[in-house]
Amino acid sequence: MIIELREFTRVEGNGKAEIVIEDGEVKDVRLKIIEGPRFFELLTLGRHYYDVPDLEARICAICYLSHSVASVLGIERAFGVEVPEEIALIRELGLIGELLESHALHLYLLVAPDVFGYPDAIRMATKHGELVKEGLALKAFGNRIRVMVGGREIHGINVKPGGFGRYPTVEELERVEKESEALLRLARRAVRLFAQLEPYGAQARHFVATDGYLWGEKLVSDEEGEFHYTERIEERSLVYSFAKQSRYKGEAFFVGALPRLLLKSGMLTPTAKRLFEEHREKLKTGYVSYNNLAQAIELVYSLERANEIAKTLLDRGIEGENVPVEPREGEGIGYVEAPRGVLIHHYRIDGEGKISYSNIITPTALNHAMMETSLLEEAGKLYGEADERAMIGRLEETVRAFDPCISCSVHLVKL
Amino acid sequence: MMDKLKLGVFELTDCGGCALNMLFLYEKLFDILEFYEITEFHMATSLSEGNHYDVALVTGTVSTQRDLNLLKEARNHSEYLIALGTCATHGSVQASVERPIREKLKAVYGDEGNPMRALDSKPVVEYVAVDFALPGCPYDKNEVYQVLMDIAKGIEPVRKDYPVCLECKLNEYECVLVKKGLPCLGPITYGGCNAVCVRSGLGCIGCRGPLPGEVNPAGEYEILKDLGYDDEYIVRKFKTFARWEP
Repeated sequence: MIIELREFTRVEGNGKAEIVIEDGEVKDVRLKIIEGPRFFELLTLGRHYYDVPDLEARICAICYLSHSVASVLGIERAFGVEVPEEIALIRELGLIGELLESHALHLYLLVAPDVFGYPDAIRMATKHGELVKEGLALKAFGNRIRVMVGGREIHGINVKPGGFGRYPTVEELERVEKESEALLRLARRAVRLFAQLEPYGAQARHFVATDGYLWGEKLVSDEEGEFHYTERIEERSLVYSFAKQSRYKGEAFFVGALPRLLLKSGMLTPTAKRLFEEHREKLKTGYVSYNNLAQAIELVYSLERANEIAKTLLDRGIEGENVPVEPREGEGIGYVEAPRGVLIHHYRIDGEGKISYSNIITPTALNHAMMETSLLEEAGKLYGEADERAMIGRLEETVRAFDPCISCSVHLVKL
Repeated sequence: MMDKLKLGVFELTDCGGCALNMLFLYEKLFDILEFYEITEFHMATSLSEGNHYDVALVTGTVSTQRDLNLLKEARNHSEYLIALGTCATHGSVQASVERPIREKLKAVYGDEGNPMRALDSKPVVEYVAVDFALPGCPYDKNEVYQVLMDIAKGIEPVRKDYPVCLECKLNEYECVLVKKGLPCLGPITYGGCNAVCVRSGLGCIGCRGPLPGEVNPAGEYEILKDLGYDDEYIVRKFKTFARWEP
């Protein structure tokens, strides 16, 4: 017998799952990514590097800036370009805007309706209007940062190899400084709300993240020091899904907010760190559902860090100078922490600046195996105990905890 | 009070941005909800209770059989169907990869093969008649607001018929094509985005698709050629968002 989870709702993109029951027991789970393939690597092959970050942004709307930045980092590394701190800080600010926008969308509009028992945030708003408004305020602030750094709310083109088309103004940075402080209260309330959730899903055994908080030169895991993804992570095609599946040393692993906190708590801002310590025992259990709480703590981190960056840039003043970029033959990998976890853009570029090899691995693809493991364990616990509707509801929540971005996951290629 | 119009949002294969952009309307979404009731919108709600839509918004390209079935369902059950965003109107980026689908799948998923059926990505307008096409990658959210409000008030929405250059001039942005020599497709691209990319001092990448009528793509081609861009670069640039036209 197969129990079908119809297409997931309140997630980005199109996916569904099948729970295989044999002899009264849950035997297998198939997570089916049914979003059509999008062929991004093929799209970029032979393209001039200058246009590539704008195209890669289109992989995903929710985290377009992560894709632009990862793409730019990969290209700069291939050319041996180093940017000054100012440019790095503005990019980081952009990624923080994205974290705020994406986490707020996920927590307030997609997960909160489960907490309060509504089908969606619009209907939840009649009774919990304040909460929905708070979520929208955080999200709108994140988007204002994305417009400032990325050029627009979705698919901006301002992030370029060597710098930006346009730099933030003093007024814009002053606004970021002020608003980030004012919104902190809301983010702390989100932490209290999501700390109450009971654990569900599997307990992840392996965690992977970039070595810096929002990007890095390499990856790190719970077991060992820095490594390149090619050394430990393997991808394979599945017969039932347009997304490939990745494994870390042959096993399912977890990327995202929870792994970031567990592996990099030392890099957190003061209040975020305190909140992490307060909930450390819970988070350490590794239940995938605590990714929601981890995201709430990251809202606090993002606001504090945005405030720090705005202050630093205001103190130093903005020079607004791009670094000259000269194409040369080379290879580079950009590692970024998209809101949902590790994002990898890997390119080889020829002497004329054209892309000759391109490999992109998104967080949802990295989490694909872990999502199946989670569904399998949760279904195993609930089958025969809960009625089928309640079970399916909980399984949907289990998937939702990963904050999957299905559009992102469907174009993975090695050429 | 009059009954609210039933609104469905249908997502085919895309980046999710055109659906997400609806949520980015913020308080304006609540203004829309004064006139509309959302009965299908899977990114935002777990409810799915519609079998008739006064207005259906369809985003994305048809890239799988599922997409095609969903599109037909949306068309058959709606009075007024809007192809929303450049994927739906012109095919956008995923439709610009010009290789046979079998070859593309093999390049991505390898020989072991992914037996799942994929179709060559095409825009919605290739399969069904649409009542309105609103391009943009993503579309300008104020434009969709205006269109939905017009329909609610019984007014046929108006399609923009001027290039990005016009909005660029109205904003008094410096011409990046002439002054900086950047590849800017503003002169031949549908306006309506308020020249947002030129605001960043960068060229228009043509994400709203080519403006038909009295435009001069040959002239644009010559300008880019004179600026030193090679044939392949220019042709790819022209086709990136628009292999099809509504």
